[in-house]
This record gives sequence, structure tokens and C-alpha cells, in this order.
Amino acid sequence: MYFALPKAAARVALNRCRTVILAGFAALFVVGGPVAASAAEINIYSHRQQFLLQPFLDAFTAETGIRTRVVYAAKGLAQRLLAEGEASPADVILTVDISRLSEYADLDLLAPVNSPVLEANVPAHLRASDNRWFAFSTRARLVATSVDRVAEDAIADIEDLGKPEWKGRICSRKGSHVYNRSLMASIIAANGAEAAEAWASDMVANFARKPQGNDRAQAKAIFQGQCDVAIMNHYYYGNMLYGDQAEQKDWANAIRLVFTNQDGRGTHVNISGGGMARHSPNPDGARRFLEFLTTPVAQQLYGEVNFEYPVNPNVAPGGVLSSWGDFRRDDLAIERLAELAPDAQMIIDRVGW
Amino acid sequence: MVATFLSYWSGRPARHIDGWSVTAVVICLFILGPILALWMMAFGDSQGLWGHLVSTVLPRYVLNTVLLMVGVGVLTTLFGVSTAWVITRYSFVGKRIFEWLLLLPAAIPAYIIAYTYTDFLEYAGPVQSLLRDMFGWQRPMDYWFPDIRSLGGAVLVMSTVLYPYIYMVTRIAFRLTPASLFEIALVHDRSQFWSVGLPLARPAITAGLALVLMEVVSDFGTVEYFAVETITLGIFNVWLGMNNIVAAAQISLFGFVFILSLLALELYARSRQRFAGNGKSATELQPLQIGAKGQIGCQAVCALPLLLGFVIPVGVLLKFVLGNPIANQLDQVIDTVGATMLMAGVAASLIVFVSTLLVLAATYRGGIMVRRLTVAASSGYAIPGTMLAIGVLVFAGVVDRTYAGMVGDPRATLLLGGVGILLTAYLVRFQAVGYGALMSGIRRLPDNMMNASRVLGNGFGSSLKRVILPLLRGSMLAGGLLCFVDIMKELPITLLLRPFDFETLATYTYQFAKDEMLEVAALPALMIVVAGLVPVILMNNMLRRAG
Repeated sequence: MYFALPKAAARVALNRCRTVILAGFAALFVVGGPVAASAAEINIYSHRQQFLLQPFLDAFTAETGIRTRVVYAAKGLAQRLLAEGEASPADVILTVDISRLSEYADLDLLAPVNSPVLEANVPAHLRASDNRWFAFSTRARLVATSVDRVAEDAIADIEDLGKPEWKGRICSRKGSHVYNRSLMASIIAANGAEAAEAWASDMVANFARKPQGNDRAQAKAIFQGQCDVAIMNHYYYGNMLYGDQAEQKDWANAIRLVFTNQDGRGTHVNISGGGMARHSPNPDGARRFLEFLTTPVAQQLYGEVNFEYPVNPNVAPGGVLSSWGDFRRDDLAIERLAELAPDAQMIIDRVGW
Repeated sequence: MVATFLSYWSGRPARHIDGWSVTAVVICLFILGPILALWMMAFGDSQGLWGHLVSTVLPRYVLNTVLLMVGVGVLTTLFGVSTAWVITRYSFVGKRIFEWLLLLPAAIPAYIIAYTYTDFLEYAGPVQSLLRDMFGWQRPMDYWFPDIRSLGGAVLVMSTVLYPYIYMVTRIAFRLTPASLFEIALVHDRSQFWSVGLPLARPAITAGLALVLMEVVSDFGTVEYFAVETITLGIFNVWLGMNNIVAAAQISLFGFVFILSLLALELYARSRQRFAGNGKSATELQPLQIGAKGQIGCQAVCALPLLLGFVIPVGVLLKFVLGNPIANQLDQVIDTVGATMLMAGVAASLIVFVSTLLVLAATYRGGIMVRRLTVAASSGYAIPGTMLAIGVLVFAGVVDRTYAGMVGDPRATLLLGGVGILLTAYLVRFQAVGYGALMSGIRRLPDNMMNASRVLGNGFGSSLKRVILPLLRGSMLAGGLLCFVDIMKELPITLLLRPFDFETLATYTYQFAKDEMLEVAALPALMIVVAGLVPVILMNNMLRRAG
């Protein structure tokens, strides 16, 4: 017994298919084939979503005439570069966390860039000592509290989240997410591994629900009354408050941001950053792109596009960010976060965050 | 399907070597390359991480994975078998429509359905809001409501989109069961379903279930969103959190071996049973006429999975699409639809071509080794997409470096950076789907078909062309359509391996869905469903004619 399509119909269908398929193959290889690098073009591997990156690319092309091409992926780009080796078409790598940047550095996938512009625009603790990667923006990981149910000064330090008074009131995304892992690493750096684990264990005991969702979802949970306190990155607040989703404005209005540890080491900050690919076919274009990202125009864009803080000390935060006021940042050398990340993950596994 | 061709494992060794066998072996080795690369990686040094994993998270991962598999397995079998049974066995109002509507959830990626259900069932969603209005509750503490982001939630949403795998194959099996057997059951006053239909459909159900379980084990999107800690989620924690890709490769192969052992177990369990049919049944199976009550029952059986797997999620997507300005998105989405269908079409054709070649070589030419290789080449389905993509990358790196050495240009590439690597990865991952369809097609042909043609004076090639291939057309189309739908919604492989500036609907949807911006992700997500409609309807026409 077999699939008995009426023969004529099947033959017509298959003949059509054959033509289309052959044309398809041809078309795919024309548009998608490996293309030789051109001096007027740079290729970017990005961990940052394309729609967030596009305004920067447009501004860069407008200023320099250099076109850009992008592959965005959340994970595995380092393995892709590794496999491509010398044949890699990538010129620039962009990531959104120090752990990922240092993974590239550890695998020797980045080339040092010696540029007076980058050295002038990026403070020393926000770039690699050997100039293989640079931060372009910073993002604070802080605490959000319910406007209605939590007093304004109830929480001052991130360490407060371990106090028993918050039992059943804290929400968070999963501990193994890179943002939380880096936060955990910063606490190990500040208080030592033992104290950090005790804190994490206490905090997990305070959770109102199983860790889930992204940071935006935590604000929503506060709005809905599922919890009173959450950990989040600061820019989600701006995105919700000034985005075009009416519903999310309500979530933002239900929370207030607490910049933690202002009387001590400062709020934990992470970076978005990047570097030049080791086998970049267009190193000159790559350097110009990296430099461009530290210029006032681009540094302001980080604020306008995604409410992120500039790294260039001579540039004021873009968009509404400047009206939020300044805060003390934890100025731990950002590389330490990456070094401590595996220890942080182990603690996260043990406490079940 | 996997089960069907695993039973193909044994056979006689080949007497001679011929072009077909050699080609088949070369193709199989090519497909096995990336899987082998993953094994090689797993033999690296995992820096003693297993001690930590076993004492902390691994037991939880394994338990959750097993629970998820059991839950999804039971629910998909319930949905798939019950719908297939009422559709083949009874005649009721709306049957013709339900018949193909029931396939539609296959076009919706599981991670999309997870997002829509969260929106539907969460605190601010329509269900809970309605309940609060009805009962006057004010706050979450006032009442209990099940959390969709849980193991149970994952079982529900995965089952609603995966049951069509079982529905499809079981429907054919029920249809091909000779009417006379059902009549015997009637005469002896025994249940037609329990004593005839179900036992005879067991190989088909297992085959469908095998695909379902492999999807479950390799799923990342849904379990990540629902924070269900399965083995696959563990792989990513180990890899990205502890920078230990060796341990990650080891865990993924652990899952891989686990699922293949399950399959082997089932095969062993029924190894002494025989499911032989004698070809066409003498009398066409006539659906039973039933009264109004029975008809409503049948309609309910069909409506439930359809409601859960299609109406609700598509409704939520539509709500977002209609409630948001989409004009500025439309151009890019339309371009993306074209690119997606082109890619899926080309890849599906490639897979069908390769599957046909392998099946023919294994059936008519090669000996036992060729058969075993072709079966082994279909195991990529049980490996999580991203890990498989990494295996493909490593393999392609080796191929390309060899090629670069040959042409003397270190920047020369064959696979990497172009569509070649993407097509390779699709082939490795979805070969099981194409091969399964072709294999079940060829096993339905009488054994002596080829011999008869040869006796009549046709050569091997000419017999293939004039007798065998025309009879396999249906299976080729069926396998191709299944692959097409699967590739269209495939995410992790496409995301990592695609060329510059290349988007499919799945990757385009993902960049927004990742940040839970469902309002922007809804339109492309809906387009995946729409683009899947045509293949699904075509598939139904073939199912209807099967046999």
C-alpha cells in the first residue's frame, strides 16, 4: 500500500517543484554564498538583537560610507568563529556581558586594537588591559520595589534581599542568566564566596515564586501584586515607561528603582562591549566602527535607543537618562566578573536560584 | 518512523560493492560527521565538573526531563490516537474539516505557543481577569490559579503542538487495518478499538511517539521560558555559565543515548510480534454511522486539541496583530516570508533527495552495513539544535580547512559563512523525518515489485525510474512537506549558522520574543502559521488517499 496521488496531479506538482527548487538553489547561492570582503564593508557578529543595533549601523554608514552586515545570535558565535578560523569573514564582535567578551578573549578570538581614540574615550577599568575588548555602555543591575507596598528607604543594599522580612516577597529571573551570574560574581568579589553563598541561599528562601521570565516580567509581577521586590537591569524601566505599550507604562509606574550600595561600593554595573575579530579581513573598518561607538553621537544613542549609560566620561547620558540623576557605580575591574563567573554559577546551582 | 527503520537493522551482508552503496556510504559519513564531532568534543576534559553536577543539579534535570517526556508522551498519545480513531472510524458532521484542521498545530513552533499561553493564562490575562470579575477577587492571594510556567504548563503546551505527529501516522495505520478484522471484533462482541485498532496501530503510534519524545528532549525555547530545568537547559548552563563546552557536549550525548535506549527497548519489547498485512484490504473500511450524541462526542474529541493547539494561540497572536500598528513592519515581514519559504523549500528538497537515495540503496543494493549506516544517519533529530549546530560548525571547519589547503587560499570556504552550512545542518537534523517517510513508503511496496520489473527486461536504473520512483512519489511529497514545516519553524540552528543579514520568520520572531515583546513578534509568528497552512492541507490530501 502506498500513497497513491492521482498520477497526473503528482507529476505536475513535481515538475513545478523541480523548476522552483533548481531556481531556489541558484538564488540561494547567489545571495547567501560566502562573499569576499570589501573595504567598504564590515561584518559584525552580534549578541545584541538586530533591531537594537540598527540605529548605530545607520549612523555609522551615514558618517563613514562603510556598509555593515550582521549575524545576530544569542549563543554559539564564539564556536562559529573558532570553526571558521582564518577564513572567518567577521570583523567585529559585539556582546552584552563581560563574561561573553572574556570568553572570546580566552579563546584567543580577538585582536588587540591600538587606538588613541579608544584609549581616550573608554576608561581603563572598562577595557581589557591588552586592548582586546572595550566597553561601550554600562547598565546597572539594581533592585526594584513596589511603590505601594514597600517604603522608599526599606532597601539600601543588595545584601538586604537576604533579610527574613522579605520572605515570600522577592521575584527574580533565573540565577543562571548571565545578568544574575555577573551580579553574583560581584558579590563574591565584595564579600567573599562564603558570605555570598549564604546571602544567595537566604534570598532564594525569600522568593515569592520560582525564578522565571525576563526582567520586564518581574516589574509586571510587582504590578500584579505577586511580589514586592525584584532584581532588574535599569534600562527595562526606561523601555517600559517610554515604550509604546500602554500596559507596560502601568508596570513601570508600579515600581521604583533603588540604586543599591550607595553608601558602600556602589551599584553593580555590567557592560555591553566588543572587539575586533582576530582574523578580521577589514581591520581598518573594524577599528573605525569600534571608535565610532565611543564617539559622542553613538554614546548618546545608547541612551536614546535602550536607556544605557555611556562609558565616555565626556558624554552625558542620552535621552531621558540624564534626568535620572547620577549614582555611585561599583568600580570593580570588570574583568573580575568574568573570572568569578564559574564560581558564581556553582553557587547558583547549589542554592537553586 | 525511527522505530520502523530501526527494525531494519538486521539483514544479509552485501555480496558486492556497487556505485549505489558507495554513494550511500559517503553521504551517510557526511551526515554523521557533525554527530561524530560532538562525540569527539565530549571526550575532552570536563575539569571534574560532573561531581558538582551530580551532587547539585543533575538529578533534578533528569527527573524533570523524564516527567516531561512521560507527560507529553501520555497527552500526545491521548490526543493523537483519539482523534485519529474518531476521524477514521466514525462518520459525523464536520469530519471533513476537522480532518485537516487537526494537523494545523504542527505549523506552530512550541516556543511561540508558550508565549501565547503565558499571555492568556497569567494574572493580567483574559482568563484570570474574567474569574476575578465573576467572583470579586481582588489580589493574587485571594485565590489559587495554576501557574502556566511550570512542568505541567510545559507538558500542556508541548503536547498541543506535537500530537499531530502521532495523529498523522496513526490515522494511516487505522485506515490500513483490514475492515474484516474490525468485523471479526464486532461478531465476537469485542471492542473494535481495544482489541483490533490499538494493538495493530502500535508500531505507528510508537513511531510518532519517537519523534515527539525526541522533540521534547531537544526543546530549549519552551523549557527556558517556563523555567523547567531539563537536561537541555542544563547543557546551556554548563556551557555558557561555566564556559565548559566539553561537559555540555557530554550531557547532550547522555540525553541522546537515553532516548535511543528507550527506542531500542520498545523495539525489543515487540520484537517477537509480527504486524504483517497482506497488502490492500479486500473491502474498503466504511466509517460507522452514529447518532446525534455520538456525533457530538466525536466533535468534542476533535475540538479539544484543536482549541488548545490552534484556536487559543492564534487568537492571542491575532489580538496582538490587530491591536498594534504593523505597517512599518510589513515590508520586512513579507521579505522574510519569501526567504523562509525559499530556504525551507530548498532544504526539504535536498533532504527528500538524499533520503530517497539512501532508502533505495539500503533496500535494493547495499548489505547490512549500508542499512545500519543509513539508520545511524537519521539520529541527529535527538540532539538539541544548538549543540548539533556546534557539531556542524566543527565538522564544517575541518572540511573547509582541508579545502582551503587544497586550493592554497586560507580564506577559501565551501560550507562556512554561506548557505552550505545551513543546508548541511538541516540535513543532519531532519534526515530522520525524510528517511522515515520514504522508508515507510518503500516498505509498503510488495517485495517482488523490483524483481518483476527486472524479469521483464528492465535494468536496475530503468526499473527505479519506471516502477519504484513513481510509486514513491506520495511518500516523497509527504516527507518533503513534513521537513518543510519543520525547517520553517526551526530556530536554534538557523540563528547560529545563517549567513549575514539573513532572516527567517523564526529568527525574526525570536529577536523580539526573546525580550517578551510579543506585540512585535506576533505578526511574523502568525506568518509562520499561515505559511504552514498550504503544506498542511496538501499533507491531509495525501493522508486521505493513503492506502
